[in-house]
Amino acid sequence: MTTQALLQVLASGLLMGLLYALIAVGLSLIFGLMDVVNFAHGDFLMVAMYAAFGLWFFTGLDPLLAAPLVTGLLFVLGALAYLGVVRFAMRARSNAGMVQIFATFGLAITIQGLAQFLFTPDYRSIGQSWLGERTINLGGLFLPLPQVYGGVVSVLTFAALYLLMSRTDFGKALEATREDQGAVALVGIDRNRVFALGWGLGAALVGLAGAVLAIFYYVHPQVGGPFSTIAYVVVALGGFGSIFGALVAGVIVGLIEALATTILPPALKSIGIYSLYLAVVFLRPRGLFGRL
Amino acid sequence: MLLEVEGLTTAYGGLIAISDISIAVAPGEIVAVAGANGAGKSTLLKSIAGMERPRAGHVRFDGQGIESLPAHEITARGLAYVPENKRLFPRLSVADNLRLGSYLHRHRADREAPLEQVFALFPRLRERLAQRAGTLSGGEQQMLAISRALMTRPRLLMLDEPSQGIMPKLVDEIFQAVTTIRATGVTVLIVEQRLAESLEIADRAYVLQTGRVSLAGTAAEVRDNPEVRRAYLGI
Repeated sequence: MTTQALLQVLASGLLMGLLYALIAVGLSLIFGLMDVVNFAHGDFLMVAMYAAFGLWFFTGLDPLLAAPLVTGLLFVLGALAYLGVVRFAMRARSNAGMVQIFATFGLAITIQGLAQFLFTPDYRSIGQSWLGERTINLGGLFLPLPQVYGGVVSVLTFAALYLLMSRTDFGKALEATREDQGAVALVGIDRNRVFALGWGLGAALVGLAGAVLAIFYYVHPQVGGPFSTIAYVVVALGGFGSIFGALVAGVIVGLIEALATTILPPALKSIGIYSLYLAVVFLRPRGLFGRL
Repeated sequence: MLLEVEGLTTAYGGLIAISDISIAVAPGEIVAVAGANGAGKSTLLKSIAGMERPRAGHVRFDGQGIESLPAHEITARGLAYVPENKRLFPRLSVADNLRLGSYLHRHRADREAPLEQVFALFPRLRERLAQRAGTLSGGEQQMLAISRALMTRPRLLMLDEPSQGIMPKLVDEIFQAVTTIRATGVTVLIVEQRLAESLEIADRAYVLQTGRVSLAGTAAEVRDNPEVRRAYLGI
């Protein structure tokens, strides 16, 4: 392989990795906040993609402009998922972990079933958009514009997230709640409100990723599956609950996937990521930046 | 009365921890609640603060019933509670812990106003601002917990065993701080095993025994009670 070709592979991997990080960070955020693994995370992504597709299909709104709307919609969906389902699952007196798993798993199946029913299992895609199908030539590297856009959105979002967590009262309230959810009442913080907003934020982040992904990826009711699996690998590698870890791990996963695709036969392309996952589980179960 | 507790009963599972307790705290008072381990002192404070749900009885703060309010709303009403295990945010800095204390007042321009009082009470906290709360000594953690509570601008401060696990030199400093806090107009309800020290600063006291009030009176009356002298003061 020439250097040029290798750089091409690495650049594509980096861009896809940044998008993986954006898909995964909401999962990590919610887990860090309240020790709940959201098994409906991939289905939040699917809903976001359908929302972007629907806005384009029915109103002609370009996914670029639809992104804030989709993000807002997913914020509401996430907050409602907490207030309507997870909040009650957390009240379980015994076996709370299992109850939470089945609650979010049930939510996932419900969302998927509704999507099958409402939108049929057909594959759909946004045909014509401002960025779709275009490529940009960066010093000899040809990169698809939607992926470049995704990478930029991801980096900017992580920067905004960092500022939110470190500079705002809401960020401090989130940090405090993840430290000791029983103690925040002592300073007058309503943990239910923080949880609802945390779920909203986590879903909004994956919603933004969905609005990007819908530009160049097929939309169908099961689309969340493979992406959520990658998100779990990213979160495990980065460290459950770590926001910065999700960014680094997303990029690592993107690069490994891109390299594996080049080296291995197509049927084996996922094997790189999952061997990485197994290696993490065996060698460093708390992940790169985890605090477990 | 600023705080009125009437017939409060709290149980853990089936086990009654406090039974039919009635106490009252007037504005500006320091009231001590004493008693042996397991007498129900901590449960009493938790039940007032909304951290435990009482099974029966009433808690009125400033004339309004608060026994069914969630804990964060009780804090917002002006009743701050420093639990026995302090419940600081250990990975956050001292500065962040204090800042979270003023969360309720985050929209006010003078949000950090009580900080001056806090640093006057506990000057060493100023030197520790950047440090993680979890790395402070036991005494400093207690100071931070009291300070965080003061940042919520309480009218009533409830302290659960502030002298526990602290070196003797700092115990005096903490008790001294409690009287200073009262002097600034904050009413104090303090639970203590160190009866002698707490009677020195308290106006009135209640003694709990197996979940019930066994004795109530002014600090002097309680100190002079022969039963108390024998059982708690070792005289």
